[in-house]
Amino acid sequence: MKTTLKIFTLLFALFAFVSCSDDDEDTSKNFTVTTISPESATVGTEITVTGTDFPTETSQVELTVGGAIATIISLSSTQIVATVPQGAVSGAVSVNVDGNEKMTSTDFTVLSDLINAKAENIFAPQTGGQGQPIGGPFAKFSFETGAVTDSDTEWDIAFRGTTIAVNGGALTGTSEEPERNGNAAAGIVDGIFTEVLSTEGISFIQDADAAFAIPTGSDNGWYNYNFMTNLVTPIPGKILVFRTHDDKVAKVEILSYYQDAPANPDAFASPSRYYTFNYVYNPNEGKISLQ
Amino acid sequence: MSLNKDLILLFLSFAGLVTFSQETQGLKDSMRTQDLDEVIVTATRTVRQLSSVPLPVTLISKKQIDRTGVTRLNEILNEQTGIVMTPDATIGGGEGVQIQGIASDYVLILIDGVPVVGRSSGNLDLSRFAVGNIKQIEVVKGPSSSLFGSEALGGVINIITEKPSSENITGQFGHRAATFNNQNSNVSVSQRRDKFGYSFFADRLSTDGYDLADGDNGQTVNPFFNYTFNGRLFFDATEKLKIFASGRYFSQEFDVMPSTSEERDANVHLRIDHNPSSKTNWQYELYYTSYITDEKILDPVNNDLLLANDFNQQLFRPEIRYNHSYSENNTMTLGGGYNFETLDRSLFAEQVTFDSQYLFVQYDFKPLENLNIIAGARFDNHSEYNSQLSPKLSARYNFNESFALKVSVGSGFKAPDFRQLYLDFTNAAGGGYSVFGKEVEAAGIQRLLDTDEIANVVVEQSTLGARLNAESSIGYNFGFSYKKGKISSDINLFRNDFDNLIDTQILAAKTNGQNVFGYINRESVYTQGVELDIKYRLLENLDFGAGYQLLYAFDKDKEEALEAGTVFGRNPETLETIRLARSDYFGLENRSRHTINFKMFYEIPKWDANANLRVVYRSRFGLTDRNGNDLLDILDNSFVAGYALVNFAFGKTFYKNYQLQFGANNLLDFKGQNPLAAQDEEVLVNPGTQFFTRLNIKF
Repeated sequence: MKTTLKIFTLLFALFAFVSCSDDDEDTSKNFTVTTISPESATVGTEITVTGTDFPTETSQVELTVGGAIATIISLSSTQIVATVPQGAVSGAVSVNVDGNEKMTSTDFTVLSDLINAKAENIFAPQTGGQGQPIGGPFAKFSFETGAVTDSDTEWDIAFRGTTIAVNGGALTGTSEEPERNGNAAAGIVDGIFTEVLSTEGISFIQDADAAFAIPTGSDNGWYNYNFMTNLVTPIPGKILVFRTHDDKVAKVEILSYYQDAPANPDAFASPSRYYTFNYVYNPNEGKISLQ
Repeated sequence: MSLNKDLILLFLSFAGLVTFSQETQGLKDSMRTQDLDEVIVTATRTVRQLSSVPLPVTLISKKQIDRTGVTRLNEILNEQTGIVMTPDATIGGGEGVQIQGIASDYVLILIDGVPVVGRSSGNLDLSRFAVGNIKQIEVVKGPSSSLFGSEALGGVINIITEKPSSENITGQFGHRAATFNNQNSNVSVSQRRDKFGYSFFADRLSTDGYDLADGDNGQTVNPFFNYTFNGRLFFDATEKLKIFASGRYFSQEFDVMPSTSEERDANVHLRIDHNPSSKTNWQYELYYTSYITDEKILDPVNNDLLLANDFNQQLFRPEIRYNHSYSENNTMTLGGGYNFETLDRSLFAEQVTFDSQYLFVQYDFKPLENLNIIAGARFDNHSEYNSQLSPKLSARYNFNESFALKVSVGSGFKAPDFRQLYLDFTNAAGGGYSVFGKEVEAAGIQRLLDTDEIANVVVEQSTLGARLNAESSIGYNFGFSYKKGKISSDINLFRNDFDNLIDTQILAAKTNGQNVFGYINRESVYTQGVELDIKYRLLENLDFGAGYQLLYAFDKDKEEALEAGTVFGRNPETLETIRLARSDYFGLENRSRHTINFKMFYEIPKWDANANLRVVYRSRFGLTDRNGNDLLDILDNSFVAGYALVNFAFGKTFYKNYQLQFGANNLLDFKGQNPLAAQDEEVLVNPGTQFFTRLNIKF
């Protein structure tokens, strides 16, 4: 009973002390960490840790993401905004205030960086045309490797002449087309490449009998054919958005159909059927962000 | 068909009623009175003083044509304010006339008031018309469908031939030789004796043509020769009954061995003028014309037939017009007619026929001493598209002797052409796309579906074959004219709103990756601007003229899309998509914002000679979209830089009847650069200076 009283007195004294003083160092123990948002992001992305009673001096706080210390951008009593640091790995996020460390209840996932690259001179020859039956193998492209592939399964999109196939859906019926064994699909968005932020709201279509997901023909899909200049020109503002064969996402802006992407191609002198395109590929499973 | 008959009957009885009811009045006939001033007939279909009409009109006199030494209609038109001869988009193809920014498809060409047919892809080749035997060329700007029906949206160009006036046989023989071995001979003979008159005109033109692009096969303009024959008879049976008959034949052949390219154009025109009283005038007119082309493209190696394109268009048209003057400045005009048109073309499934009937009425009156109002309307009923009512109202107010206000509002329309209705064409050599006219598209799609050539139909199938509307426009003109002493000037603000322009649309995708195209009423565009024209007699013998046109021509839908931010272009360096602003839109193809002309005509009586210098300038214009966004924007590398053509001619008369003339067109040897030329190749815009000399002998 005596001991209990002592402790109680001490606690009371402490309480009184805390109540009287706003800048007591010991408040550092009372902060809480509630959520982290987003729960997954790539290195360099801003993340926000919310909680209560954070100190307002950046020097008092250390935020660790998967073992690496993050640079704090802004701080308030309820929010810490920081960027995911280099070297961070998936795991807990901890907030350390003057030696008192608290963890988020959920783990944070460090995502792989989006691949933002340009594919140049993907050669997509075809036989026939000009009224003759079109044939020849498609040039298959994998977003994961960023290159043309011979694999029958590990490809996402394929080119032959102006036709683009996706590795998903059914055979269209054209000769020498690759078998569709993935879950790829495509959609077309009108806009600026950098403004396509994710695949949210995009209705994906797969190749089907007698119909490519990206419609063929001038002005139907990605290109315009000008009878006057005899040029195949990618229609500006047509952003192709893809789901890959293994359910990842990518966006593509075709820049040129001619070798080395000349600014002013010549229908007779510039070799055609060479695709140059910018693409952004999100290698993280289940993620739809494209920025 | 019974409806058609009824309409004609109705018209006849109405016209008759007016005649009988008005015949008792005996007032002076004004509309046929010719003043010392220049007169025109195209503005109202009655004879009117040029200086009194309430419409923007350009009159080109025989004297001006003679002085400039040109021999073809296109050459003389290009020097007039607000009229631009545009090269075909590919440059070197057919030239088209543009009035108030309106393309040649929408400009009606008449010879002595009757229409010329024969348009290849909309353009009517104006170099077909020799100007050797004409009295004047009248150009009425703005829509005139209220009088002339289809095609009179941008304006009407009426070529008025000369009437014989001398009791003796008179005539002339001339030969003109010019650069590119351009040889033009013509002869004309005419005579008038009592009640009878005749005139005959023959013209032959041949040239080696020219090439705007070195290095490619063939020439831009192939060597050709053509003949024009025109014979006319005038018979004044009595003071009250006058008969006019005319026959014209034109034949042209291009030397494109081993292929063939020929065209023939013929017309017969019969008109009876009956003036039962001094104030009434009946005109009965029969007109027949045909335009035939025979084109075969053969493989130069093995003579295989690659393409045959035969075209045979015929038009037969009876028309009756009735004019009645209630008083001096109070004239009613009524008219009606029937068009029978047929076209036989290789690319059509079968010969197609059009029938149309029309009625027009016009009332030209002066409610006030200084105010002239012309109100008119025309109704066209057509077998293949929705019928059209085209009203027009114009007014002129004279503030004083020299200063007048001219205002007019009118509507114009253009019937869908045969191609837009009946084309049934699959281009096997060009990749296998198909094009169907509106009347045959449903059957055409069904045929392709039956043969499994269609991947998917893009449009709602039930909408296939719905009727096309005529393309239509409303034109507004508002101008002032000032004429005093040595100076004569006109300023005119114009605006033309076009609706229902016929465009192509994709109907279906084919299994071969190509498209099936059809036609649809879609686009709406406008042209607006200002025309300014000044003529000034600087000295007794020195006339000076200047003209300017400011033009804005845009597609309204594209303007809206730009405002909404849904039009994109490509950064020329990174090739990445960028959003275009309204200010990036250059406007419609082939339109120059500024066109300017200067003319100086100088007479030297002491030498019996004359000289003139004419300068025509047009500012930068674009040929085609090149970055795939279907509009001409400033990022498109398809602009022709502004240029001026300087033309000069000098003529001297010897022994009264011999006239020698020499000169140069494009004196400064402008050649230009076609932006569509392939890399490392040069394609010109103009073949350069063309010198000429001409000898003319009168007898």
